[in-house]
Amino acid sequence: MAELAGVFASSHAPLIIRGWKDVKPANQRELTNSLTELGKRIKATRPDVLIEIAPDHWVNFFINNLPSICVGIGEEHEGPAEPWMKDCPYKKIAGHPKLANHILQTAFERDFEPSVSHHLTLDHGFCIPLWRGGLDPLPPIVPIVINDLEPPYPSVRRCLQWGTMLAEAVRTYPEDIRVAILATGGLSHSIGEPTMGEIDEPFDRECIRHFEKGDERPLVDFLNERLPTIGNGAAEIRNWVAAHGAAGKRGFELIGYCNCPEVYVGCGFASWDLAARA
Amino acid sequence: MRDYWLSKLFFDLQSTPALGDEYRANRKKVLDRYPLKPEVRTAVERDDVAFLAPWVNPYLLRFYFVVAGMPEEVFLKKVRTAGADAAARSSHG
Repeated sequence: MAELAGVFASSHAPLIIRGWKDVKPANQRELTNSLTELGKRIKATRPDVLIEIAPDHWVNFFINNLPSICVGIGEEHEGPAEPWMKDCPYKKIAGHPKLANHILQTAFERDFEPSVSHHLTLDHGFCIPLWRGGLDPLPPIVPIVINDLEPPYPSVRRCLQWGTMLAEAVRTYPEDIRVAILATGGLSHSIGEPTMGEIDEPFDRECIRHFEKGDERPLVDFLNERLPTIGNGAAEIRNWVAAHGAAGKRGFELIGYCNCPEVYVGCGFASWDLAARA
Repeated sequence: MRDYWLSKLFFDLQSTPALGDEYRANRKKVLDRYPLKPEVRTAVERDDVAFLAPWVNPYLLRFYFVVAGMPEEVFLKKVRTAGADAAARSSHG
C-alpha cells in the first residue's frame, strides 16, 4: 500500500520571480532559506508522487466554468503559461493517472463531487515552490485545484475534510509508493483590491499558532471569522487547511515566515511531522 | 457582481500574449470584438479602475492593467483610491 511520506505548505508569491531584484537582501535570504529548506524536506521524503494543491490563477478556468475543486488525472500537464515564468524549467509535467483516479474514486465514495481535468496547465502557484525549492527533476504530480480566487469558495471545514479524504486515498492506494502532499498559497495578502499590498502579520501569526495547536474547531472558527475581513489572497489558506487535514491535524512545524512587502505577501513555509498523528 | 464580457476581455488579454500585443497597439480594434455595455467600455477606455473594480475579479483587474501597460505605482494608487471612493459613496447612502 502507498505511504503518505510528507505534508508541506508554501506561499507562491509571483514577485518572488517577477520582482526578485527589488526584494530587500534580508528578505531574499529569508525566502531563499525557507524555500531551500522546504525543497530539502520534500526531497528527503523521496516521493514517488507529489499531490499538489493550489489555486488556479485564471489559467485553466474562467467564470463560465469554475469548479470548486478539480483533480488533474492526466498523464501529462503543461508547465506555467505566464510569460514571466518563461525560465521555469518545467515545460511538461508528468501526472500520475492511477493515483489521481484513485483519489477521484475515493472522493466520490466520501460524498465529494470534484470536477476532473485530463490536462491542466500548472501556473506559478504550482511551480514557484517546486522551482525555488530546487525540485528538479520533479516527481509525477497529481494536481488538485481548489478555487480560492473567486467566491463562492469551498468552506474551510470542507477543505479540512478534503484533506482527510486525501490521506485516506493515499493509505488505500494499492501500490507500494511514497506520496507527499504540498499545498500552496497564502498567507495574508491582497491583490487587485483597495488594500493591495497590505500584509496582516498578526493574522498570519495567529493562523500559524492555530495550525501548531492543531485543534479543528478553533482553527475553523478563526478562519471563518477572519478570512472575510482580510485581503483576498488569504483565501488560499484553504489549501493549507486541506494539508492540515491530510496530516491528521497534528505536527505542524513552521519552516519560516517572512512579512515581505516587496512581494505583497506574508510568506509562510511549513511541514507537518506525520509521527505526531494520533 | 461580475460583468461577464468585461471579465472575458480581461481573461483573454491576460491569457493570450498575442492579444495583449494587439491590444496595446490598437485598443479600439480589440474592444470592438466584445459586447461591452457602453459605460463599461468608456471606463475601460479611461482606465477607470474605481468604476471597473466591482465588476471583475480583483486578480483579473490586476492582471489586465499589467497587460495594458499601467505602471505598478499608478495602479496601486488608483486601486487604493477606488476603495476610498467606494467608502465615500457608501457613507452618502
